[in-house]
Amino acid sequence: MIEILLFFIGASLLLYVLLGGSDYGAGILEMLPAGKLREAQKHLINEAMGPVWEANHVWLIVLVVILFMGFPGVFVPLMTYLHVPMLALLVGIVIRGATFTFRHYDAVQEEKSQRVYTWLFSGSSIWTAFWLGVIAASLGRGLIDVETRDVWSAYFAPWIGWYPAAVGVFVICIFAFLASVYLIGETEEPELRRLFLRRAAVFNVLVVLAGGLVFAASYGEKENLPAVFFAHPLTLGVLVVATGLFVALWVFVQKHRTALTRIVAAGQVTLILLGWWLLYAPNALITAQGKINFYEAAAPEATLWQLVLALLVGSCFIFPSLFFLLKVFKTKGREEF
Amino acid sequence: MDDLLAARSTMAFSLGFHIIFASVGMTMPFFMSAAHYLHLKTGKPVYLELTKMWLKGVAILFAVGAVSGTVLSFELGLLWPEFMKHAMPVIGMPFSWEGTAFFLEAVAIGLFLYGWERMNKWVHWATGLVVGIAGFSSGIFVVAVNGWMNAPTGFDWVDGAAVNIDPVAAMFNEAWLHQTMHMQVAAMQAVGFAVAGIHAALYLKGKAKEFHLRALKIALTFGAVASLLQPLVGHFAGQRVAELQPAKLAAMEGHFKTSKQAPLWIGGIPDVETQEMKWGIPLPGMLSFIAYDDVNAEVRGLEEWPREEWPPVVITHVAFQIMVGIGGVLAVLSLLFFYFWRKGNFPPWFLWTLVFSVPLGMIAIEAGWTVTEVGRQPWIVYGVMKTKDAVTPVPGMQYHFYLFLVLYFLLAVATVWLFKRQIQVAQKRLEDVL
Repeated sequence: MIEILLFFIGASLLLYVLLGGSDYGAGILEMLPAGKLREAQKHLINEAMGPVWEANHVWLIVLVVILFMGFPGVFVPLMTYLHVPMLALLVGIVIRGATFTFRHYDAVQEEKSQRVYTWLFSGSSIWTAFWLGVIAASLGRGLIDVETRDVWSAYFAPWIGWYPAAVGVFVICIFAFLASVYLIGETEEPELRRLFLRRAAVFNVLVVLAGGLVFAASYGEKENLPAVFFAHPLTLGVLVVATGLFVALWVFVQKHRTALTRIVAAGQVTLILLGWWLLYAPNALITAQGKINFYEAAAPEATLWQLVLALLVGSCFIFPSLFFLLKVFKTKGREEF
Repeated sequence: MDDLLAARSTMAFSLGFHIIFASVGMTMPFFMSAAHYLHLKTGKPVYLELTKMWLKGVAILFAVGAVSGTVLSFELGLLWPEFMKHAMPVIGMPFSWEGTAFFLEAVAIGLFLYGWERMNKWVHWATGLVVGIAGFSSGIFVVAVNGWMNAPTGFDWVDGAAVNIDPVAAMFNEAWLHQTMHMQVAAMQAVGFAVAGIHAALYLKGKAKEFHLRALKIALTFGAVASLLQPLVGHFAGQRVAELQPAKLAAMEGHFKTSKQAPLWIGGIPDVETQEMKWGIPLPGMLSFIAYDDVNAEVRGLEEWPREEWPPVVITHVAFQIMVGIGGVLAVLSLLFFYFWRKGNFPPWFLWTLVFSVPLGMIAIEAGWTVTEVGRQPWIVYGVMKTKDAVTPVPGMQYHFYLFLVLYFLLAVATVWLFKRQIQVAQKRLEDVL
């Protein structure tokens, strides 16, 4: 039964990164200079994100609810010792969601206020993506110390360092890469397509560089990443395949195969998450006192059954409606209000 | 500000902020669907304009509600880790269903906002209705969790931990029914009156009068029916509180000494030192009657509980008085509304009263939640866990509080500003179109 819940945790995390992540990426892209394509880009992103961003965002809430109901032993230390980065994340989530909506629904579309919305929207997209990375990195560092009374080592040391920062940057690059690849297929405008193609190429390089940075930064950690990653054939294999898929990606890009391009990019990100998962599963958290795994941190049986039931019944509603949403909006020629 | 007070203030402020947007999110889609239905049935453009005007309001407020709701799902853990650790295995279930409902709501709102001309018009209409139904269900699930905090069931508390957990019994706790009914009806009242008041103001400006009158009638029909139901629901809720949490009832009423023929106070400030009510008007026997349907019934006073288990009496009593007072005003206005509608003419003084009533329902909701939450103190889970034992060990909580104070203040200002601009532009458009 815990396996079913682990599946849902993995699925929500994956969908949040693939769908919600690309929404962050769209915000990140708007920070970059686009010259005379600026307005067209904004319009395209409004159209692409508008109908779906709230649904994409809910995956994060699903994840949080599974954790606090099913695995309070993971949720509670997370919210206690990573209090500060969680707060930073929340501030970003609030500003990003609000300004994206405000920008679209401000009745007076004037240059000045639109610039402020866009700046806040993209700034908070970068900010939030960074903190997601920091939090993800902090789970496995072994610096969360549930016994210390010292304020610094309890609430700051677990998430401060080059390694969490590098993962933060890596997440920013991944999200921007996903968004660039997705957006190529959202438009027929040759100039816009070229813009997103160029950006996909740039972030392709940046993802690889940032990945290297993550590996390099991990040398300051208790366990450096290359040692654990390369020690296991599975994680190594995942890494090699994810990198190798860049070749396939660019072949499909050259051939204008929109759907395949998206699938490959999403596949790469899936593999990266899979590698991360393989590295730690079934542990959820590594503390100074030892590993906390999902099995030990789980709520009693009766609770888990109810959670599984809610997730299964919920899926029967959510997935069909989600497919309907995508079918309605991700086919060409949308008419928005 | 100590850390416990800061954590409590943060929670109060975050909830108080979110509840406004949540209330709109779970009621206004119904107004919108009603207008949309009238358009589809009659073909009149005025209803289409109205639907589109309201949907913009829903879109803006829904987004703020979604992000402030996300904050709350984290904040429960950030502020009350001990509570979450013990309570969520027992009462997490409604949250899992709330997650499902919220997901459907998010999908449906995407379809409704952007789906014009992209699907069958009745399917499109239905997506708008789904937004309302899903939002309304979300509200019920979340309030059920709060009900459990007031009337915890579905577990045995042994040596500081919950055992023999029954999540279904926990969800359908003794307080879930009256609390959800009370809240859902209150949201309908508050939003109905707020929307009607805004349209009354625009009507009084004298432009697009017909349009605003129709809008006012739709919104206030919802608001007025709810306002006439609420006294009954509130009475039911009061009786349940008398049974489940007599100390809360005593604080609500400023009732210090156990007595028969207990009085109901109109106004008044309870003096905790002398244990007397000051400046209030007593209605002898009425509290006994309201609580137990019998003027001679004995009502337990606060003296029955040790002092450290008293909720803050003044805040609870004053908040309760505000809530009931506003409820009374809205009920009277609702009767007048139906009376004037029948007569076929709304006099200006009535419309002006509606304008001034815009914030009343929301104030009543805030006051009501103050009664529920402050009146439960010092417990976070009534009779089981004290609030001070649930709070996070993280120091410096006042900065957390200030951060959200500033963030939400700015967000509120921006939202109001955005609404002003929406209304200005809509007014102009209406003059051209209608």
